[in-house]
This record gives sequence, structure tokens and C-alpha cells, in this order.
Amino acid sequence: MKKIGYLGLAGLLLAGLAFGHNVAIVGDSLQDREVARLLKWVLAFSVVIFGGVAGTLVYAVYRFRARPGDRELPPQFRENPRLEVSLTVIPLVIVLILFVLTAQALVKINRPIAGALGVEVTARQFWWDFKIPAEGIRLSSELVVPVGRPVEAKLTSADVIHSFWAPSLGGKTDAIPGQVTYNRFMATHPGNYYGYCAELCGPSHAQMRFRVLALDPEDYRRFVEALKAYRAPEPKTPKQARGQRLFLSRCAACHTVKGTPAAGVIGPDLSILGNRVALASGVLKNTPENLIRWIRDPEAIKPGAKMPAFKGQLTDADLEALAAYLESLKLPGFDFASLPRY
Amino acid sequence: MATLTRTPARSFSATLWDWLTTVDHKKIGILYTATAFITFGLSGIVAWLFRLQLAHPTGRLFTGDTFNQMITVHGAAMLFFFIIQAGLTGFGNFVVPLMLGARDVALPRINAFSYWAFLFSILLVIAGLFFGQLPEAGWTFYYPVSLSLGSAFYFSAILLLGISSLLGNANFVATIYNLRRRGMGLWRMPIYVWSVFAASILNLLSLAGLTAATLVTLLDVKLGISLFNPAMGGDPVLFQQFFWFYSHPTVYVMLLPYLGILVEVASTFAKKPVFGYRAMVYAQMGIVLLGLLVWAHHMFTVGESTIFQLAFAFFTALIAVPTGVKLFNILGTLWGGKLEMKTPLLWVLGFIFNFLIGGITGVMLSMVPLDYQFHDSYFVVAHFHNVLMAGSGFGAFAGLYYWFPKFFGRMYHERLGRLHFWFFLFGYLFTFLPQYALGFLGMPRRYFTYPTEVAGLLPLNQLSTFGATLFMIGGLIWAWNMIASLRSGPKAPANPWGGWTLEWLTASPPKPHNFDVRLPEHFESERPLFDWEQKGLELEEEDPARIHLPRSSYWPVLTATALFVFFLGLAGWSWPNPVMLVGALLTVVGLVGWALEHEYEHPEHALHETLTGKSHAFMGMIWFLTSEIGLFAILLAGYLYLRLSGHAVPPPERPELWLALVNTFFLVSSSFVLHFAAGDLKRGNRSSFMLGLLVAIVFGLVFLGVQSYEFVKAAHHMNWREQLWASAFFLVVGLHGLHVLIGATGLTLAYLQGVFRRILPQQPGTLEAASLYWHLVDGVWLVIVTLFYIW
Repeated sequence: MKKIGYLGLAGLLLAGLAFGHNVAIVGDSLQDREVARLLKWVLAFSVVIFGGVAGTLVYAVYRFRARPGDRELPPQFRENPRLEVSLTVIPLVIVLILFVLTAQALVKINRPIAGALGVEVTARQFWWDFKIPAEGIRLSSELVVPVGRPVEAKLTSADVIHSFWAPSLGGKTDAIPGQVTYNRFMATHPGNYYGYCAELCGPSHAQMRFRVLALDPEDYRRFVEALKAYRAPEPKTPKQARGQRLFLSRCAACHTVKGTPAAGVIGPDLSILGNRVALASGVLKNTPENLIRWIRDPEAIKPGAKMPAFKGQLTDADLEALAAYLESLKLPGFDFASLPRY
Repeated sequence: MATLTRTPARSFSATLWDWLTTVDHKKIGILYTATAFITFGLSGIVAWLFRLQLAHPTGRLFTGDTFNQMITVHGAAMLFFFIIQAGLTGFGNFVVPLMLGARDVALPRINAFSYWAFLFSILLVIAGLFFGQLPEAGWTFYYPVSLSLGSAFYFSAILLLGISSLLGNANFVATIYNLRRRGMGLWRMPIYVWSVFAASILNLLSLAGLTAATLVTLLDVKLGISLFNPAMGGDPVLFQQFFWFYSHPTVYVMLLPYLGILVEVASTFAKKPVFGYRAMVYAQMGIVLLGLLVWAHHMFTVGESTIFQLAFAFFTALIAVPTGVKLFNILGTLWGGKLEMKTPLLWVLGFIFNFLIGGITGVMLSMVPLDYQFHDSYFVVAHFHNVLMAGSGFGAFAGLYYWFPKFFGRMYHERLGRLHFWFFLFGYLFTFLPQYALGFLGMPRRYFTYPTEVAGLLPLNQLSTFGATLFMIGGLIWAWNMIASLRSGPKAPANPWGGWTLEWLTASPPKPHNFDVRLPEHFESERPLFDWEQKGLELEEEDPARIHLPRSSYWPVLTATALFVFFLGLAGWSWPNPVMLVGALLTVVGLVGWALEHEYEHPEHALHETLTGKSHAFMGMIWFLTSEIGLFAILLAGYLYLRLSGHAVPPPERPELWLALVNTFFLVSSSFVLHFAAGDLKRGNRSSFMLGLLVAIVFGLVFLGVQSYEFVKAAHHMNWREQLWASAFFLVVGLHGLHVLIGATGLTLAYLQGVFRRILPQQPGTLEAASLYWHLVDGVWLVIVTLFYIW
């Protein structure tokens, strides 16, 4: 029974690894290929070693059980130099092979890429700010990049250490206050890629997420040009107009909306909030109801969030007006929510 | 627990007093073991509670800071208070002296003190609760997210625990060097003793990294002194270098003792000698060495250069080889034996299986591009629980069931033991195997919620919570088994398993003096009982007049309490505050009482012959000092890095060189005077010895006076909150000043012993250890003068 249990569970482990492997590696960028290659090698060795040692263990348990009443001592041997040497040398050879493969892959992955799209990333408790200097645009929480072009994210932090990780695009890199680090990745399929903070950074570490929205190059170009030319649309309804007045008086110290006097840089840029797929840095689906919930009491959704609560200060009608205005801030012709999610 | 096992006739208060003042290594071993396993239970419950939170992403049971506090306390408690302790200080204290054929450890009162300091460090972490905050920055307390009051309690606790574990480790090393039964060569020691030896040395060599990281961060919280603060040019990554310099090697401190236990259990239950004894010892030492060279594999994502990463990846991959040797040799020990399928052996078998998976995933993690994916994800969580919980933890339970009869004189319930094992094995498999997949899917660790839209996260998390529930059930069975067996388990014979190491020679539980018989001086292998039986050796009764045991003492527990008050003051209020001052004062009172008390009924009984010919205090202090050297080496390395990289620029107006040179004169002279004074003592020239000692102390005080003057002056023209160099200066020079103060206290204790005629030429009391310490402090000063005043 134990044998079956062991084998079953080993199978579960391997199935889990294989399953994860298929889900997590979706692209075929340089990193994806290198990681997949390393995984193949190490999984192959793992299966052999696991099979060998676990098999020996199960066999030994089966074969060398004490029989009841048998008082005689088993052979008292102490060593077997030849076996011991081989069991030292074989693992040594295996780890050396794996190390050489690792070194090759690492050198390739960490090499700076000419022609990469530079993105400046600033991590803060608990959201991400992105700037693409070459295009002259700023995006908060949701980074838009072109498919097929390598991206070089230049990371830093405004407070504590965070870590930038979009699992389906590649590995993670820490964002460190006072320092600059680089994370290189490339999306090979259009999509809405989930990103996370991977270094414990405070109470809402689990809710410091971001998205990388990868667009086909022509869509990306269209998006960038539209955003550069973008001025926030004038309110179309009285409700939106009321929302705009409230925004300019209550929110503009921290938030920017292009084309209005609101130019605060403490909080995320809300110029195209209506285009976002998510609110509160990747945590809530972008709906007016969620937006109202958020403004009313950010702390209830993200403990430790720096944004003050407006419950008690703004009436329900105020909140609805504010949400209506913010949701109207969008570039027409882009529906990011329909991108496949990775 | 105590009252259940021995002398039930005694009153509760007498029993309590006995346990508070005991210096018996067995009782201290029981205290350590019980504290460690109780901590394991409580911290396991905490883990189960936050697994409940994770059963669903919308859960509101424990979120935000509460969740972070729970994972921090869980990690800290499991690592620092359970897994490091159970196998090393718990079983080690009880079993090592028995295995060596000794009557106690080398320094029994120090041993008691270590335990109480350990217990108080647990209380310190919890004390944060009464100030409104538990530590919440993860057990790794990365800078700067850890700059908080809750973390200050944690730092304080770690510093106190550091003192405790350094003394404990030095004690083990001194015991193993000095107190082996004559005839038991190093290569005849049981493997478990070797593993305690290796783990102790490794801890002594590496602990300084943790001390440096905690000390500097605590100073940042309390005074604004920092090497890490980026606002003044510091480097937060330097914190991680310090931290991991300790915290990786300590993974092997958490593993080695258990490997020793597993080998002992395998050998006993297979009825065979250890397979590849020498290879095991070499592998162990290889792990100690390589373990010191792999720390930065926890930092592959901080943006260090490729070559730096590869160097650490290389050693990390390499360490799989000696670890593999250990695993193969445990298998080899079982091979061809007659396996008695009792509970302790089941844990060994489980260990092999689990550790195999943990080892394989460890090699995966050494492959840097894969680490970029797995680092700080659930893959890593699964990996380290695999090696620590299902690896070392299984080793801890193997040891617990193996030595339970010896500890308490009663047998545990075999069937409940097995049931406990199966629940833990399947609990572990269900909890942690899904977590590997979670890591692949991109779930970062330390998350109290996760996106439901990402396929797989929800079912895998629920599977994991289910596994944690199996753990809980297993834990209840275990607790019941322990309580019931302690109360009414059948009486245990001296040697229930047919073991062949010396602890099985004596009664269960052993008498206070351990052995009634005189042990032969003939050792052929690490299994003396087997060899003696083969030779047909008859053991003679030992003459009771030759048995001397150390006396109980209340000074260790009092001194530890005073130190607790001091560290509570350090953590709880801004500096300086009355609590820490009172604590420091009481500590000195405790030390004086301690120094003036005789360890043995008749002082001459303290003069046991030692195997090396060196005194216990000398041996212990030499090893303790390696750690002190390490502390200064690490801080100075950090300073050198900051200075050479252009971050720490000395201000134009620096502390005066001539003043430092005057101080150097006093300190160096005091060392020479002390040296000659010690010589006078040896020649029996008491009055000139006392005079010399007094002069050395006065010189030390002059040094401190000059340094205080210098600090006050320096504080006028240097701001340690803004200038990195000033921060480094006050940190390192100030820490050295503290060492001078401690050293001078040690010399003063020796002086008092002299006044009360406690020091004799053959019995140097505190003098030997205090002078070694003094000479070290002196040597360190010369380096400091060069690096801070001359350069």
C-alpha cells in the first residue's frame, strides 16, 4: 500500500510540474526558450534520480524487514568504497552538467539587448508607475508594450524593496530604493499578462499587482500616438461635470489627468482610467461600483494604502459623479479587457 | 512534565525551584526539547490558521498586517525556536554528554543560562503584543520594511538568542573536546556527536552575520545609525549580504544534527553499524565549508553581476554532492539490515523520501534562470518546507520517539506514533506538493489573497489547506500520545531498542550522575556497547567518592532574567530608558553573584582533568571569540565596501588621531599588564597579581573615558543620521567600546574573585576567559584605529 502511495504522490508531483510548466511558459522569447531547456534537462535528471533513490528505498523497506523472532544480527559491514565513490562522482557530474547549462543560459539572458524598449518602473507601496521615456508617456499600474520587441525595465523603488514579476513573461527582479536594477522580457503573444510584487513590502503586499498589456506593434503604435495627443475629454453630462469639479478640488493634489489642471504625482496617473482593465493596482475589476467602493474606503480593500478614505466626506451622489467622470476618461478604440489573460 | 517523571513526592514549589536552578544537562536538555516542541505545536496552529485564510481568495480571516505578523511569527518560531533548538540544544544537551560518557557538559551553569536566555528570547518576541505590535516584516526582516516597533522586539529577541546560542555552541565544542571518555578518539565518536560538533562550529562561524544585520537595523530604528539607509548613501542590499551570510549556513545548522539523529536511528533499527562513517564525517565538514560559501543564492534577484551570481550558483549546486552522500549513506546503513519497523524508523524512511524531493528542487533553485522564476514564489515555500519540515522536522520526530524512553523512563504508544507519522507524511504531501505547482503558476509567497482568474490557484490552495488540516489532526494525535505516555506509559528499560551508543548503557531516565559503572577506556568504533559485548568486557561499579556533580545555582536564571529586562528596554522604548539601565545593572549584579559562587561543593572538584589539558573556560572562550571576530569582520567588511565604493566619505573634520593613539597606548599596555599579572598568579605571587589586574582594569576605564569624551565631541561636528561615514564610525567604534566595557566587567569579576580568594594558581576562575576576551578586544582595536583614524 505504501508503495502505491509513494508512486502515486511522486506522479502527482511530476504531473504538477508538467502542468505548471505548460501554463507558466506561454511564449517563445529568449528567456522562455532558455528556461524551458533548463527545465527539460533538470526534470530528466530528476526523474532518474528520484526513481533510483525512491526505488531503492521502497525495495530496501520491502526486502530488509526484520522477520518476527529472528534474533540473529545482519552482516555488520561498514563501507563499500567503490560504491561510495561512484555515488559521489555521479551526482557531481550531474550538478556540473547542470551548472554549465545554467551558466550558458544565464549569460544569454542577462545580456543587454540592443534596440530594446526602455521602461522606467518605480515601485511604491502599493502600486507601480511606468514611464516610457522614448515615447514620452506615463502609465500607472498597467504597462502597454508591443509584441515582439524586447523590453528593458529599469526598476527602482520610492520606499521599501519590492520585486517586479510577470510570471508568464519571465523571471523577477527586485526594485530597490536608491538603486537601479534591470528586468528584461519580451511578449511573443498579445495578451493581458498578470504581474505581482514578489518581495514582502507591507500590509498590502498581496495586492500590489500590475498588468503588462502586450499589443500587436501597429496597435501599440496607434495607442502611443493617441495617448501622446490625448487631452481628457470634457464632461458630457451634468453628473460628469460635477465629478470633474470634485476631482479637481479633492484629488488633483495627488493624481494627474492630462489636459486638466490635475497634475499631482504622488498617486497613480488617472488620465485613461476608463481604459484600465483593473482598479487599485490590478486588484479589482474596473467597474463604476468597484471604483466607488475604492474611493469610499481604500483601507478596507488594501490595508495600508496611502490614499485617504472619502467616506463621510463625500456623499453617495458625489461618489457616483466622481466615478462617472473617471470612467469617462478613456482613449476610444481600445478594449484591453478582451485581451487573452496570462 | 517534570513532576510526571520523577520524585512525585516533592512539593510543587520545590520541584519548580529544582528546575529553575538546575545545571543538570539532562534537565536542561528536557527544558530545551519541551520548549522547542511546544513552540512547534503553537506555531503549527498559526500556520493552519493562515492556511484557512488562503482556502479562498476573498477570505477576511487574517489580512494585511495581521497575516504578515502570523507568517513572521510562524517562520521565526519554527526556525529559531524549534528546528535550530530541538536537534542541537534539546537532544544535544541530553544525549551528547551521555554518548561521550561524561557526567555533564563542560560549563554547566553557562548551559543553564543559555536555556533561560533562549526562553526569554521567545518571550521577547511575544512581548511586542503588549506594545501593540508583533513583528510583521517576515522572519527575514528585510531592510527597510522592517523599521518598526514590532520588528524592534524581534531584533532584541534575536540578539538575546544569539548570546544564548553562541554560549551553547561553545559549550558543546568544549564538551566534545574536553569531556570524551578517555580512549574515545574523535573517529570513535557517534555520528550524532560529530553532527552536533559540526553544527556548533558552523553556527559560531556564521552567527555574526545575523547579529550584524539585526544590530544595525535596531540602531536604525532607535537612533538613526545605519549602513543600509539609501537616503544617506547606504545600501539596503548590504543588509541582505549580512543576513544571508548567517541565514544560509544556519540552514545546515538546522539540518546537520538531524542527519546525525537519522543515522543513529537507522543504525539501531537496522542493527548494523553506520555505513561509510568516515565519508559521512567528511561530507559533514564539506557541508560546513560549502555552507559558508553559498549565501548569495538567496539574492539572485537583487541585480548583482552575472559572474557573482554564477560563483554562488556553482557552490550551491556543489553542496548537493555532500548532502547526497549523507542521504546515500543513510540508505546504505539500512541496506542489508533487519529493519525493525518502529515509529522512529518510519520517520527516517519518510525523511529519505521527502528530503530526496527537497534536494532535487534545491538543485533546480541553484539554476539561476529558474530561480528568477521560483524565487519568493510558492515553489520556494514548498522547497524549504520540504527540506526543513519534512526533512529536519521528520528528523526531530525520529529523535523524539527514539530518545523518549531515555528522557522520561516511559515508553510512548507505538500505534499512536505510527498514526502520527502517517498523518504528517500525507499532510506534508498534500500541503506542499501543490505549492510547487502554485509557484510555477506564479503565486508569490506571503500573499493573503490571490487572483481567482489565474487557472489552478484556487484548487491548489484548497488542496494545500486540506493538507494542513491533516497536519493538525496528526499534531493532535502526537500531543495526545505525548501526554498519555508521560503520564502512564509502560516503564522503559535501559535499552529498549538495542542501541549501541553509551546513552543506552544507563538507566531510563538516567540518574543525575549518568553512569553507575566505570566506563572502560577501550573504544574500537562508534558503537562501544557492541564492541564491549563482543569482547565480553565486564563493567565495574564506579566508586561513589569519585563522582562529583556541579551544584544547582540560581544565578544563571537570575542573570538571564536581568538580561531579558535589558533587552526589553532596548526594544520597547527610546534610548536610553530606565528599563534598559536597570536591566544592565541587574545583569552585573547577577554576574557578580555568579562569579563568587563555587560551581562544585568542594572547589577542587572543579579541577577535573580534561582530555586536551586546557580548561573548559579556555576552550569555550576560544570558540566564542571566533564569533566575536566574525562580528567585527563582517561590520568592517561592510564599512570597507561602503568606503571603497564611494558611499561612505569621511567628513573633513574627523575624530582626532592623536587621541586615538593615546587610547591605543592604554589598551595595549593593559593587555601586557594583564599578561604579566596572569604570570604572577601562576607563580603564586598574589599581591602583584591583584595589583596588575587592577592596573589593567583602570587602563580599560581610562580608555572608555577618553572614548566618551571623543564621542561627545564628535557628535558636535558629525551627524550620524545624515553622514554614512559618521554612522559607520559610531557603530563600529561604539560597538568596540561596548566590548571594552564587557571585557572590563569580566576582569572586575576576576578581581572580585581575587579579593574573596576564589582565584588560586591552579584555579583561575573567570580570569582565563576574561583575559582572552580582553586580548581580542585589544587586537580588534588596532584594526579599528587603522581603518577609522589613520586611513
